[in-house]
Amino acid sequence: MEKVTVKICEGTTCFVMGGGTIKPVLTALTQRYAARIEIVSARCLGACNHADSFSKAPYVLVEDEIISAADIEKVYAAIEKRLKND
Amino acid sequence: MFIDIDCAQIKKFGQNAFGDYFISKRSDNQKRLIAVLSDGLGSGIKANILSCMTATMLARFIEEDISIRKAAQIIMDSLPICQIRKISYATFSAVDCRNDGSVWVVEEGNPAFVLMRKNEELPLAYKEFTSPQYPDRHLRLYRFQAEVGDRIIFCSDGVTQAGIGTREYPLGFQRRGLLTALKSHLELYPKESSSELAKWVIEKALSVEPEQHAGDDISCSVLYFRNPRKSLIFTGPPYNKSKDREYCLSFGFFGGKKAICGGTTANMISRELRREIVNIPQTECGDLPPVAAMDGVDLVTEGILTLTRAAEYLEREELQHKDAAGLLVKFLLESDIIEFMVGAMLNQAHYDPALPVEIEVRRTVIKKMKKLLEDKYFKQVTISYI
Repeated sequence: MEKVTVKICEGTTCFVMGGGTIKPVLTALTQRYAARIEIVSARCLGACNHADSFSKAPYVLVEDEIISAADIEKVYAAIEKRLKND
Repeated sequence: MFIDIDCAQIKKFGQNAFGDYFISKRSDNQKRLIAVLSDGLGSGIKANILSCMTATMLARFIEEDISIRKAAQIIMDSLPICQIRKISYATFSAVDCRNDGSVWVVEEGNPAFVLMRKNEELPLAYKEFTSPQYPDRHLRLYRFQAEVGDRIIFCSDGVTQAGIGTREYPLGFQRRGLLTALKSHLELYPKESSSELAKWVIEKALSVEPEQHAGDDISCSVLYFRNPRKSLIFTGPPYNKSKDREYCLSFGFFGGKKAICGGTTANMISRELRREIVNIPQTECGDLPPVAAMDGVDLVTEGILTLTRAAEYLEREELQHKDAAGLLVKFLLESDIIEFMVGAMLNQAHYDPALPVEIEVRRTVIKKMKKLLEDKYFKQVTISYI
């Protein structure tokens, strides 16, 4: 089974908007799925610079789904949805 | 050649001001370096004022293209005599050198400087001039050609007289003691920087003092002639996107050490040079985004937050941090000639009023960093806006 990849943007805007705190908490919360997901930092997903997504940092990418104004709850829900579909 | 210069000092035990004063200036588009070490009579505030005035005036005279001999002679002839001790108010050593290796040195009253070449002391001829007003004041003038790898070491008498009266050093550490110590140390650390060597010399002198209490102000200044260590920092994408490839290639071909500061910049270089950005586990990242790695690049960090913090560390002389900004500071301080390639493309999102912190403008931070690196850390810094 392929792992679900979660990319957390740690570009400047996302980092100051709270992206910097997502990874450690999310990693701790998803311990039981550790074998099925991969959580990585991304330098910059570039999402904050698009006019339609401006002002919605931080961004997290769960596979091909971009989550704006991301927080633990939203990202966790997106991961669970993916895992159920697998 | 690049001239790496630094000075380290310890105050006389119990004093709250340095009685020795060191000043250095680079001029003539960084090709010329002038430095003066002066030792004020006595210690504490009085000595500090005397040495500060002597060093500052002498450095300014030399900088104004008065010949070093004439400049030193004016100072030597003008320094008043202490009414109690009947000796000159301050002694001094001054050096005027260029990065082609030509060196002039003058000394009055300070211990003779040391020229180390291939880890041996090289004795030098000098001319001596006696002050017409004060027959006990003698100026030594040296003129020689430095070679790559040479080191010039200036000390105040706090070094040569360290430990005086002790069983081990009844006459003090002396120049002989300093030479022996320098030779064995440089044999172990042949590439040591001026900053590290100067620090080592004063600590060595302090170690021979009774109870490790400095009996006098201890100062050591080192000049190290070496091939410059060059580095390039690429931060921010170019204003014109069509130039991305060109700038990335020139970054890739750069011969020295390389750093990238910025997520978008790192992505662009990764894309253009086809080199992967690899996350690396970093245990002490503090409240800054962690560093990453890329093949052929020495350091990859986030941009503006890291640069701003690094400038703060440089300003406060906090050089021990292990987060991304601390690693950037280390990278900068291990270089002699630093070039910043600053992309002019603005990231709109950085100016969103909803951001919880104020994000500085990249140009402003880089300008501040340049000034700090030049004034405080004696680096040669250039900025190119792209």
